[in-house]
Amino acid sequence: MSVEDTAAASHELTITRIFDAPRDLVFEMWSDSAHMKNWFGPTGMTILDAGTDFRVGGKWFSHLRTESGGEHKMGGVYREIVVLERIVFTHIWEGTDAHSGFETIVTVTLKDLGGKTELVFHQAAFETASASDSHEDGWNKCLDRLAAALAKI
Amino acid sequence: MHPDSLNATFSALADPTRRAVLARLMSGEASVTELAKPHDMSLPAFSKHLKVLERAGLITRSREAQWRPCRLAPAPLKNATDWLNQYRRFWEASFDRMDAYLQELQEAEKKEPSDEC
Repeated sequence: MSVEDTAAASHELTITRIFDAPRDLVFEMWSDSAHMKNWFGPTGMTILDAGTDFRVGGKWFSHLRTESGGEHKMGGVYREIVVLERIVFTHIWEGTDAHSGFETIVTVTLKDLGGKTELVFHQAAFETASASDSHEDGWNKCLDRLAAALAKI
Repeated sequence: MHPDSLNATFSALADPTRRAVLARLMSGEASVTELAKPHDMSLPAFSKHLKVLERAGLITRSREAQWRPCRLAPAPLKNATDWLNQYRRFWEASFDRMDAYLQELQEAEKKEPSDEC
């Protein structure tokens, strides 16, 4: 079982990427509708439309079409915005497919690396318990065993 | 995978006591008394946590033995893991796209310097 699977077993997802672009431009990727229309969906899918009302309480959305013609709309509401540094928003799939109606919370953190930008993307199914939680350590230590148990299924 | 099942799984996982119970059950079945021991709460309060886990399908309780041991039922956890992995692939591919778009934008800027120059 891979490291990613083990991490996923802890019920949250973290992706770290470094982009060869200044932080203000990377921030605009998330805050400007015109930019969102050019990337907010995986390679191979058509972005039919995307946009943002970039303010706390405002909504964002991206309307995608898969190679096989299926259409999917995702969106959410901004919970927190720290310009250039941090964006927290909800994420939900609209429609009737298997994943629709299930809300997750996304936190995007940007770090200026002098011309380059580190982006940390975090998505969780619920608000993560505080680090001071004494049980948390035990849970994390058990993830390897969980991974082994899952691999047998 | 129905979203309600995922909801039940993630709601069950949202509590540290319940995660601790699952972690304990990863090393084998245990009785309710054994499971409750490390937790500073009344047995009825603890039983409520077990019921949440049972309803979410994360644990099963044997009806055979009189002490009715609890066991881990890993299928919902696997569904949750698969679901998060799908998201990983989704965002990685989106960031590939963002990366390509950022390069395009910056190349275009170099080729077409502003009039002020």
